[in-house]
Amino acid sequence: MLRFLIRRLSSAFVILILISAFTFLIFFAAPRDPAVLACGKNCTEAAKDIIRDNLGLNDPIAQQYWEFMRGIVMGRDFSVGRCDAPCLGVSFNTDLMVWDTIVDRLPLTLSLSLGGLVIFLTLGLGAGLMAAAKKGTVTDKTLSSMSLVFSSMQIYFLGPIVLGALVFSSGIMESPRYVPITEDPLGWFTGLLIPWFVMALIFTAQYTRMSRSSMIEQLQEEHVRTARAKGMSRPYVFFRYAWRGSLIPIVTILGMDLGALLGGAIVTEMTFSLAGIGRLAVDAVTNIDLPLTMGVMLIGATFILMCNVVVDAAYAYIDPRVRLG
Amino acid sequence: MRLLSTRRARTAVVAIAVGSLALTACGGDSDSQTKDDSKTQDDAKEQSEAVAYGDAEASKGPAAPVEGSREGGTIRVYQQTDFSHLDPGQIYVSDAGLLSVLIHRGLTTFVEDDEGGLTVVGDIATDSGTPSEGGKVWTFTLKDGIKDEDGDPIDSGDVRHTVERLYAKHITDGPTYLQQWLSGEGTKYREALPEGPYNGDHLPDDVLETPDDKTVVFKFDTPRPDLPQALAMAGYSIVPEEKDTKEKYDQKPTAIGPYKIDEVNSGKNMKLVRNDEWSAETDPKRHAFVDGWDITFNHDRVDQSKRLAADRGDAKNGIQFSGAVDTSQIKSIVSNEETNARTIKGYAPYVWQLNMNMDRIKDKKIRDAITYALPNADILRPDGGSYGGEPAGGLLAPTVPGYEKGYDPYGKIENPQGDIEKAKELLKEAGAEGQSLVYGYANVPHRQEQAIIIEKALEKAGFEVEKKEIDQATYYERVGKVDNGLDIYMTGWGQDWPSISTVIPPLYDGDQLADGSAVYSHINDDKVNSEIDRILKITDPEEATTEWQKLHRYIVEEINPAAPLYFTKQLQIHGSNVGGARYSSEKSYIDVSRLFLKS
Repeated sequence: MLRFLIRRLSSAFVILILISAFTFLIFFAAPRDPAVLACGKNCTEAAKDIIRDNLGLNDPIAQQYWEFMRGIVMGRDFSVGRCDAPCLGVSFNTDLMVWDTIVDRLPLTLSLSLGGLVIFLTLGLGAGLMAAAKKGTVTDKTLSSMSLVFSSMQIYFLGPIVLGALVFSSGIMESPRYVPITEDPLGWFTGLLIPWFVMALIFTAQYTRMSRSSMIEQLQEEHVRTARAKGMSRPYVFFRYAWRGSLIPIVTILGMDLGALLGGAIVTEMTFSLAGIGRLAVDAVTNIDLPLTMGVMLIGATFILMCNVVVDAAYAYIDPRVRLG
Repeated sequence: MRLLSTRRARTAVVAIAVGSLALTACGGDSDSQTKDDSKTQDDAKEQSEAVAYGDAEASKGPAAPVEGSREGGTIRVYQQTDFSHLDPGQIYVSDAGLLSVLIHRGLTTFVEDDEGGLTVVGDIATDSGTPSEGGKVWTFTLKDGIKDEDGDPIDSGDVRHTVERLYAKHITDGPTYLQQWLSGEGTKYREALPEGPYNGDHLPDDVLETPDDKTVVFKFDTPRPDLPQALAMAGYSIVPEEKDTKEKYDQKPTAIGPYKIDEVNSGKNMKLVRNDEWSAETDPKRHAFVDGWDITFNHDRVDQSKRLAADRGDAKNGIQFSGAVDTSQIKSIVSNEETNARTIKGYAPYVWQLNMNMDRIKDKKIRDAITYALPNADILRPDGGSYGGEPAGGLLAPTVPGYEKGYDPYGKIENPQGDIEKAKELLKEAGAEGQSLVYGYANVPHRQEQAIIIEKALEKAGFEVEKKEIDQATYYERVGKVDNGLDIYMTGWGQDWPSISTVIPPLYDGDQLADGSAVYSHINDDKVNSEIDRILKITDPEEATTEWQKLHRYIVEEINPAAPLYFTKQLQIHGSNVGGARYSSEKSYIDVSRLFLKS
């Protein structure tokens, strides 16, 4: 297990370095000049040059990249103050430390992603199992049809409809908002209920379909039929053998979904006017903000890579045939 | 200049993308079936009257009473993006400019009457300034009792510091009028004080003099009759010397206005509370009826409009700040008596025009043909229809003194669908049938829609149009290059203060033509250039306005560097518990200086 972790974390580290270098190069390859956004009226070349100098963009790209990467380990000094390690630089747009900004936004994204995940995973797996267990019945057809409808929808479509019905027209619920769970647990829960609900509707549908098909496949496996033939009870075989096997493709997809959500649920945050990592990613790109772009990119990539390591480790527990090493 | 903020515009793109389905569902001519009670040319009259210069009496506080006002409560503000800056020296765009009304104060400011008429008065100065030597020297005396949020008095040293810090390298985004008038054009002024005042250097007394704690004297080498109006810009608000933290000041400025910043979470929210050191007796402009302001960001226009139209919970106390009613909801809001009563409307200062690159389109007949062919009313539709603006006949907005109602040499108001036959005729006369035009436009939905309309109209007139989409983030940088490779492209421009001197010189003075300048059409006409120099020196505002009008006519009729497209209008909505709401002619948004909560 330890060897597995060391090997995977080492390769994740190399991938992160490559992603950071690639992002840095892409930023400078794009024909967009961050100086323009802080240049005010009659933005002459002389005026832009002063801004580029302020932002450190007049230094060679390799030097800028080296200083950025060194800052992650050693910290850096800026005109607005000391940026302690892990320093991801200072935002071009806000003059705030990127690391602090990400840490500030992360709780919302974590709440949104993990809360939604608990709901859609519970409902999705449950509905999938039920549909598989009652294959061919009205229950199966109803659940399958509903999942087909909802999985073909998008959050930016369903979100405004739900907001219109529950918030703006009827006033049954308040507009989504985020308050830290440590400050107001009830406010945290009610504030994120609508985004969770909408996320759950769409993701549940996908996981229902996946869970159902995977379970049906497993129920037809020889070892499952053998277990039944040996006289084991149907529920025991269902959960002990079939369900466990059916989890492998689900865990694979879940790892990717969770990584992507933690890296920033852009559409969800935009739809519900929430300020998390996803919104930060949009701001970074629209404001041509290199340090923020690098920060968000690295955080997102780290989540995805870590989730993949966890998924691979989980395989060993789910499938006895898999050995880590 | 007030270019439409590209930063806000870009964020709007994202918002529009998110709400695209809603827009599609509710789109079309959103106001075609609605009784149109948007602002008219008659309403523009008050907005385009000449600014008066107020004396000491007009500069005294408190501000004019507001009927029904009461104290208490917190106003909720729904805003799309965080404020671009909080440091006054960096403030140019309108969102931060509106916030500055609440927290900053300058030497002068504008007060507004119930009809939208503007008077420039002393804010922390006792009056709007005393000119001498034919307008080359301006003297200001500071009021007693002006303090910052810590209770420290503001003196002439703070005013000097405010001006001198604008020369430092970290100030890049704010207005540069004053610095350039004092110390040289372009970025040359920075040479006068390269480090600002931070290493003990100061501007010489023959440029800026502070003979005592209460007196500030500006000395120019040419008459500067607009100085009182320029100083009213948010970018020239006071930064107390002892409180200046240089780059960090942009995150936490010191308030002199009626409110101070209590909490800022960048990109998320901001809370303002009363500044107990502010005295209403010194302030001719601002009230402080409410206890505080709770500003949250990340509400796109769709969200703002829906929340405020629904008028539930906190939204009853809510306003839009620099946002506007989303185009998809204009119809439902203005056609409902209750929600329409909670809207404010007025002319915004922006004029959209189609620049014709005069380096590439040298024949005026071809430029005229383009102008006649354009269907201004159709082009306006994707930008909000009649509640978003109205077809323009000239290049001056209804908000600028000197605007001539009905001025329409190309029949764009009378015939807003365009005159294709006339265009064909002119093109034939020019021997340019089938001429190709490269049209550059920003890659945002409403500009893309407009591009299709413009392309069709020009092709009907006999042009070949090649469309080139440009990244919105770099749009103005691209079209602002002298060698931009484009024939025609739209730009929007608004006055910095109510004077043509902030419109014609930056846009049509060929002497300023360079990469990054706002002379987008590349006009470079000797008569125009010399007239601009001459009129800028006229100290009598009425005489100057008359001369600007003549020059405007000459530019439009004799040169035609840019086809007038449309003037913009503002439409905002507020919650039902908000009182004192009115349109601010100066800011082109809700007047935040007089709002109260009814209960």
